[in-house]
Amino acid sequence: MKKIVKTTAAAAMIGLLALAVAGCGGGGGDKKPAAKDTLKFGMTNFDDSLEPTENYFGWSVMRYGLGECLVKFDKQMKSTPWLAENWKVSDDKLTWTFKIRDNAVYSNGNKVTGEAAKKSIERTFAKAARAKAMFEYESITSDGQNVIIKTKVPVATLPGMLGDPLFIIIDTSVTDRDYAKQGPICTGPYMVKSYSKEKTSMEANPHYWDGAVPFKNLELNAINDTNTRAMALQSGEIDAAVNIASGDLQLFQDKKKFYISEIASLRDVLARTNLREGKPLSDLRVRQALVSSLDRETYAKVLLKGTFIAGGPYLPPSVDYGFDEIKKLDQNQYNVERAKKLLEEAGWKDTNGDGILDKDGQNLELDFVYYSGRAELPLYAEATQADAAKVGFKINLKNVDYNVIDGMGQRGEYDLMISNILTLQAGDPEVFINQYVRSNIDGSNPQNGSGYSNPKFDALGDELIKEFDPAKRRALVIEMEKIILEDIPNFVFGYPQTNMVSNLSITGAEIQPCDYYWITKDIKPAGAK
Amino acid sequence: METIIKGLKTNRAFALFSGLVALLLLIAIMAPVISPYDPLEAIMKNAYLPPSAEHLFGTDKLGRDNFSRILYGARYSISSVLMLVAIIFVVGTTLGILAGYFGGKVDIVIMRFSDMMISFPGMILAIAVAGVLGGSLFNAIIALTIVSWTKYARLARSMVLKIKKRDFVEAAVVNGGKAVHILWTHIVPNILPLMVITAASDIGAMMMEMAGLSFLGFGSQPPAPEWGLMLNEGRQQMQTAPWLMIFPGIAIFITVVIFNLWGDALRDVLDPRQEN
Repeated sequence: MKKIVKTTAAAAMIGLLALAVAGCGGGGGDKKPAAKDTLKFGMTNFDDSLEPTENYFGWSVMRYGLGECLVKFDKQMKSTPWLAENWKVSDDKLTWTFKIRDNAVYSNGNKVTGEAAKKSIERTFAKAARAKAMFEYESITSDGQNVIIKTKVPVATLPGMLGDPLFIIIDTSVTDRDYAKQGPICTGPYMVKSYSKEKTSMEANPHYWDGAVPFKNLELNAINDTNTRAMALQSGEIDAAVNIASGDLQLFQDKKKFYISEIASLRDVLARTNLREGKPLSDLRVRQALVSSLDRETYAKVLLKGTFIAGGPYLPPSVDYGFDEIKKLDQNQYNVERAKKLLEEAGWKDTNGDGILDKDGQNLELDFVYYSGRAELPLYAEATQADAAKVGFKINLKNVDYNVIDGMGQRGEYDLMISNILTLQAGDPEVFINQYVRSNIDGSNPQNGSGYSNPKFDALGDELIKEFDPAKRRALVIEMEKIILEDIPNFVFGYPQTNMVSNLSITGAEIQPCDYYWITKDIKPAGAK
Repeated sequence: METIIKGLKTNRAFALFSGLVALLLLIAIMAPVISPYDPLEAIMKNAYLPPSAEHLFGTDKLGRDNFSRILYGARYSISSVLMLVAIIFVVGTTLGILAGYFGGKVDIVIMRFSDMMISFPGMILAIAVAGVLGGSLFNAIIALTIVSWTKYARLARSMVLKIKKRDFVEAAVVNGGKAVHILWTHIVPNILPLMVITAASDIGAMMMEMAGLSFLGFGSQPPAPEWGLMLNEGRQQMQTAPWLMIFPGIAIFITVVIFNLWGDALRDVLDPRQEN
């Protein structure tokens, strides 16, 4: 009797298990329809609203193929026409005239006029404090298809500023929409059917001004775990994905199944150092020793499998700011002996034999703050810990949430802090190069919590604001980069490649150097013209 | 103690599993001697090497020897879990005995507090506690202690309540025995075997929870060679360097199985009534 009960129970358990397993597999087994009219896209996201003026959510509005700006950045990050056909600046450099394309229409069929664009820009200024930090206008007027912007002081990079997703042109005459959940009415190839942080459904914009929209439907899946994203792409659950992790890229090498679009990004993986008084890194020699102890070539080539370029100059090689010239000046390339010597000169010795250098009874300990949202950051942090230990540093790793990084940086609660940062904003490095380096005098630059201040650097920055001539701007930026390389208020671990991987059911899935463009009208079903 | 020695002689399963447990402990203690490499030494040019004669279990993302890390991991994982179980055992049992023996307000305070604790899902509460305290092995032990002591308290309390009514305790009370004396000589020895069995069979489960917390980033921090943490680190390379997940996984599996079987065998030895 007992045996029968046991057998039955076992059989029932197996049955249940089988059922459970079947349940898990249900989602992936759908048969593909003959004509491909839905594009399924896997991505990371940070938005919980589609209001372009809030936070950095405009990025998502643009990435999803919903919103467009007057200006677009090309592969060299030059400003090129988008909704604006052309633009010109007056002789006094204060008045800019943007001419909007005659055929530009919103997804509800309304024409994009000068007046409509004007209202949209005004709305951005009314809602986003960040806009005022980019430039301040005296007046905005419209004349037919023209928008005329008058600024208070000359702003050399104004067209680039208007290419920032903050200035997505929306139809402000539509008032019955919940922008956060439905998104604004824009001009992009797709429009929102339903939106949530996890999954967004889009449909083709019937009035799209720039040719036919290739897919009837677009499904945007937020898959923030890099592994899961790669597996979803392998199984065919999605057709394309952005930012496949370095380790997983080799899974997609089969050219008969996948297409990898890879490009040097405009980003830096950057470490900020804290130079406040009493911190070990306030001594230049210690900073030099630290950087010299790190084998950044090997990190890029081996640990990250060649998906990074080893760091050096403040701006990446993908932009034209004299990378090779500055790289040659880098004194702090990998050299363990030099690092040891520098530390000795700075007075650090291992007096108690514990393998950690010390001075005046203090160990050479550094708090390294990082977040794990991007796969390479923990890896860089741990590699630093291992390499710096070889010359006598003790690195304490502090894994924190991405959202607290900014505040910790401003308050200077770190010795080292790593992040992955876009170097060109509005197509220009001015904002970035000043961001963490320019002197913070009575809160004039709160982002610089490191205590670093160099009047020479600030003077160059002051010149840069006023300079319109591109060649002179470039020269100024290069001078500023050299100062950073020498003083090491920050140093660069590496420059990431970025990628978009797609299966061969679609074509045209190309990653752009500029982070704003993911879904474009150029992603088409395979076989379509 | 005598029963245990007798058990080792007569109960072959118990002898076998005790031997395996001893072997595990030996590996943990002898890790520095038997490891071929330093578990923290990163030779980054050798990252992601597959298993070979030189590196039995391959190398990890910083070029550290995976085999050495797993051997050292036995130290971290086993010692921390034994410490955790010991703390829970002492804290939980003590509070349970106090609540059961003295009753009244003491009982109400301790038991209502424990009710509060078990009204949350254990692992989630542990994650919250570890999250608030910040990730470290020590904090993970605190977090798991906070959520796990209640089980021992309840068990100890119910047994004390049962024993308290027995004649020999009543007799001791009538004879004017002090509370401490009665607890120590009459009550504790009677509940101890069952408490020990519970603790022994909990080692496996606790090991899983510790590894779980480390896996989620709330336990051990890099570069510690802790198995749960190693699993999480290997997860990034699940498809391209599977050895980084497989071996720590097997290590956890084997250790948990051995401790669970040993716990069961120990029960058979200490509490013969339960046999079959």
